[in-house]
Amino acid sequence: MVSYKNINKLTININLYLFYIIFTIIFVLNSKIDYMKYITHKPTLRDIRIWIALSVLIIFPFLIGNYLEPNSPILIVTIFLIVGFFIFNLIIRKSLSFTNYFTSKYNLLTSKIRSEKTFDISKELMFEKIIEVIKDSKFKLIEADKDRFELLAITPISFTSWGENLYISFETRGNETIMKFCSSTLFQIYSWGKNEKNLTDLLNEIENSLTI
Amino acid sequence: MAIVVNLDVMLAKRKMKLKELSEKVGVSTVNLSILKQGKVKAIRFSTLNSICLALDCQPGDILEFVE
Repeated sequence: MVSYKNINKLTININLYLFYIIFTIIFVLNSKIDYMKYITHKPTLRDIRIWIALSVLIIFPFLIGNYLEPNSPILIVTIFLIVGFFIFNLIIRKSLSFTNYFTSKYNLLTSKIRSEKTFDISKELMFEKIIEVIKDSKFKLIEADKDRFELLAITPISFTSWGENLYISFETRGNETIMKFCSSTLFQIYSWGKNEKNLTDLLNEIENSLTI
Repeated sequence: MAIVVNLDVMLAKRKMKLKELSEKVGVSTVNLSILKQGKVKAIRFSTLNSICLALDCQPGDILEFVE
């Protein structure tokens, strides 16, 4: 005879699975990946990251639903680790000292978008110009290192976003200044295209600001 | 570029600093510096108007076409 407790647990599991299946379908459809290309091409780091995310999405609820009790120490430790990781990222995000941590290609837990822009304006002038543009944009300037020519701007956490860190570095090549942008999510394996949009908007704002 | 910006010449003639012009025109010193170097993409008529007003000059005194 099936007990009331088991039926209840089964309902919770079905609900949990339905939620994750729908979420995974939306994730896959939104990822805009040409899955057929893997037959002929090697997957990139970005693809591997998405696969890890998908695996976690599928395996994690399966483990919770089948093997772990709600008060299991493994579950509690896992939740503490996830929350701890989030808080750790939240604390260190507002410092240029942790640029390498967020922008490293080996940090698979944050999604990154890189871009380069070249202007025939001096590095010093361009540095000041970008600070001006950031102040008028949706980004918030956090740190500006005039000695190393590095900038850190962030978008705050909201209901629709976990927030992102934007690192800008300046290099001189001949008479030109090369600006390297790296937009990194704070706590997100996949950014759903929001990082790209915010960075593209900022690049457009920089271009438009050259009309005075 | 064929269009040469003579803003620095006009500033010297009027014995005016870039910062002073920036305050009068309402354009940041960074933007005026970029304009002075001729690196801007475009200049608005309103900005040109304000610069001419502040420097008491004609647009031709600031912008010059050189072949």
